[in-house]
Amino acid sequence: MNAIKHSRIMEILERETGGHSYKSHKYSLDDSERSPVEYGEASKSIQWKRRGETKDIRAYVSLVELSHQIRGGEQLFTYFLDGSRHVYKVDDMGFEKSGNRTAIYPIIAGQIGIGCCRRENKRMYCEKFEREIVVAMPDIAQSSGKKQGFLTATAQKLNAGTELARISSSGWKFSTILSYKSAKEEREYNDKGTAQIQNRMMENEQKMVANLVSEKKLNDTNFLVKDGSLEYRPSKAMRNNEREYQKFKNNYDYVIGVSKKFNPEVCLVLGDKPNPGFIAKLPPYHRTPVAYFTDPDFLGDIGFAVWYIRVRDQARTRTPFDGIVKVEKILVTSGEVANGMDSDLVDLISAHIINERNPVCYGSDMRWANHLYPIYLTERYVKSHYLSTESFLHLF
Amino acid sequence: MNRLIGRVLATEKNPTTMDKFSFWTEQNEKLNAFDIVKVKHLDGSFTFGVIENISHITDATSFLTNFISSDFGDVSVEEQTFRVGMNYAEAKVSFNDCYLYTPVHNNAEVYLATKEEVTFALGLKDVDNPLVCGSLKMYEGTPDEINLPVHLNSKFLLGPEGAHLNISGISGLASKTSYAMFLMKAIQDQYLSSSNTDDSVAFVIFNVKGRDLMAIHKPNEFDGNTKLHDKTLADYAEMGLTTDPFKKVRYFIPFSEATSAKRSTYLDPDDIDDYINTDILRKFKYVYEDDKESIEMMFANTDDPQQTMESIISKIIDDDDPDFRNLATWADCMEKVAEKSQKGSGGKGEDISVLSWRKFKRVFRKAIQDDMFANRADSQKHECRLGDALKTIKPNEVCVIDIAKLPEDKQAFVFGDTMRTLYNLKLGEYDGEDGVAPPSRLIIFIDELNKYASKDIPKGSPILRQILEVTERGRSLGIVLFAAEQFRSNIVDRVTGNCSTHAYGRTNSIETATKDYSSLPGTYKNMLTRLEQGDYLIQNPIFRSLLKIHFPRPIYKQFK
Repeated sequence: MNAIKHSRIMEILERETGGHSYKSHKYSLDDSERSPVEYGEASKSIQWKRRGETKDIRAYVSLVELSHQIRGGEQLFTYFLDGSRHVYKVDDMGFEKSGNRTAIYPIIAGQIGIGCCRRENKRMYCEKFEREIVVAMPDIAQSSGKKQGFLTATAQKLNAGTELARISSSGWKFSTILSYKSAKEEREYNDKGTAQIQNRMMENEQKMVANLVSEKKLNDTNFLVKDGSLEYRPSKAMRNNEREYQKFKNNYDYVIGVSKKFNPEVCLVLGDKPNPGFIAKLPPYHRTPVAYFTDPDFLGDIGFAVWYIRVRDQARTRTPFDGIVKVEKILVTSGEVANGMDSDLVDLISAHIINERNPVCYGSDMRWANHLYPIYLTERYVKSHYLSTESFLHLF
Repeated sequence: MNRLIGRVLATEKNPTTMDKFSFWTEQNEKLNAFDIVKVKHLDGSFTFGVIENISHITDATSFLTNFISSDFGDVSVEEQTFRVGMNYAEAKVSFNDCYLYTPVHNNAEVYLATKEEVTFALGLKDVDNPLVCGSLKMYEGTPDEINLPVHLNSKFLLGPEGAHLNISGISGLASKTSYAMFLMKAIQDQYLSSSNTDDSVAFVIFNVKGRDLMAIHKPNEFDGNTKLHDKTLADYAEMGLTTDPFKKVRYFIPFSEATSAKRSTYLDPDDIDDYINTDILRKFKYVYEDDKESIEMMFANTDDPQQTMESIISKIIDDDDPDFRNLATWADCMEKVAEKSQKGSGGKGEDISVLSWRKFKRVFRKAIQDDMFANRADSQKHECRLGDALKTIKPNEVCVIDIAKLPEDKQAFVFGDTMRTLYNLKLGEYDGEDGVAPPSRLIIFIDELNKYASKDIPKGSPILRQILEVTERGRSLGIVLFAAEQFRSNIVDRVTGNCSTHAYGRTNSIETATKDYSSLPGTYKNMLTRLEQGDYLIQNPIFRSLLKIHFPRPIYKQFK
């Protein structure tokens, strides 16, 4: 145990896996590329079936009046959730293979932070915050391949190390070790490791939503706005357990996902051909009709209502797509799945989103035209808790 | 009860230093400049700081960000979420209870201080020879408000450690006279109750405006406002002062003939009779034989580059001068001067030209036209020579000299003559005379010091010379000058520089832009322009920093 206590993270990993650390160059992977997983939208199997709302709307819907009417009234969005991760390549490790060969794989580590802020009387407060450090290693790092709990046990050992003792008081811990497939594929190992960490982050986001639901915080007057897409891939275990699956879907009754960025090429709005122009020409404070889409391969039978809202005048933005946000809502009830979302609710949510356009984060974020300020604050709150790149890399 | 209100900020650009630190607070935390805060520091010690400035910031990177947040200039737009903001205060280190002046650390806890801690931090605890100079409020307008009397060491106001007080501020709003009177009231209270026979004090006060100080022995009636009356009396009692007006007061008004249409005082004839009946008022006169040495005071504001006026005055006061010896009255002197001014009077060997005599005559004649320049003072008619009356001033006495109705040149004459008499008294020049037993300290109060010691006054002015004598040597002699003026920057530096205590009342921004105020932080300068009536910033060697104090309304009678 003493040996662990006084060891650096990589030494512990070497000892536990029997691999060899090459002490190679450590660097951040965030700058080099964005998220390698284009989950959801990029999927080829995406299906835009029909309209996703109760009314048969084919043109833009003006929300100027409604947003004006509800201005200054009760807020609809109370909770704001944002998860993010920073990913680093911390080492290369060699593992012996048959024939006296040694295969080298990158070790990817990441910091994951999930934060949820609550708004009361126009002021933001922290509701929940979780952070963890994860390491992604190739699956062959576990020599037996079958030993239950090996990854968690190793994580425990990492937590006992000296390096982590310094930062554990501020809430940092190794939660688990993730493993990526070592089989040769098109994708690079770095991407595979990063994808594992991204998945872990999404799992953590889902857990936080589940916690908010179980604490009965979310209801029809206290919605949660999640930064980004809601296109979570249900786990295999979940798909096999109908009850769990329905519970997962129910958790999203009062949750909407608001994305700042979206791929205009897959902006299919009513019809089966891409029509990005339809969105680009969206007048200010209008929304598009709601589309219903599913992605059976990736998302199972979960159906989504998707629509776009322009929150800022195009004359004031750089590109036609600046100032437009994409809104997603999981269709929960069978009625919703069959007939789409209630158009009045869509209008109400949209009007509230339009009213969230001020204040702006102009000057501190390039994406100011697409940002909603409470989300921006939540994002800032989460990011302010990260270890600096230097401190983080020094752990390894 | 110490309440945690924030944490210290130390960044690369804004580090904490031995002198200063900044801390953040929640944006609705109410604090004021001059409030004391307490910061947890090394070895369990606490560093105390005085707040100098408070700023409010938000995450908006520029004004443009805010403009854009109103839909590009729609003034009716209300934000759905308040922009994240905080207040940060800049504080000056005043004290560490373990004398550790290493800069306070980032994120150190910042608390409000208790009454005892405030007293300690400001250097007000266990002050020797305490003399109350007002009260101060901390955390004003909050449930944590603290009110405490401020004491200074009287040896640093009245000597011998430090002496003289300078009060500055614009008329009406600063209440300069009221503050000087409040301090003198506190001093009289202290000396009246003191059993120390070696140390005594007396006051000479000039009344320069209306009847302002002509009834300081009578209580303030507060226009029948009993609430105000009770509150003021309670304020005095809380500061440990009596609620009586001044005691042992004597008034001196310039003599004027009963038949003269011109009056020499604003005091009502009824009051004059009343005061005479109670034997507290005398009409003062100047008698040629005894007061001719003060003739130079009549020339205080006259330029005399060739010193011819000085030569004439020397000639007049020379007892061996063939022309001016043995003259008995002002009229005799005037006659002689007129003679000298005659055409052709300047014979051979005369070193003073007729023109100079004529200039002298003009000023002199105008000056002595007043009734107070008389042949003799008749004590039966309650008249006196001012010099004689002042020589016999007794401990705890307050002599009020009314010069309000005199023209400016005669005001200067009376002031200069009084200063000289008192200075000579303390020098011991009259020690051999009967009834002369001056108190160990004499306080002279004059408003509108700028008339006598402004930077525009001719360098050779005898009054300025006298004031400089008093401010530079008075501390050891026991003469203390309490002076007030509108604009401090206008006063000769040697005068203000010798004052140990400075009271800054409300003034204007032109004044605070002068170099006299350059040592004050910007916030304090701005504060000076909006101080309430009765508020002062006080500087005294024993205070660890400038203090903002408040003093109660006058306890003596006020005239509308």
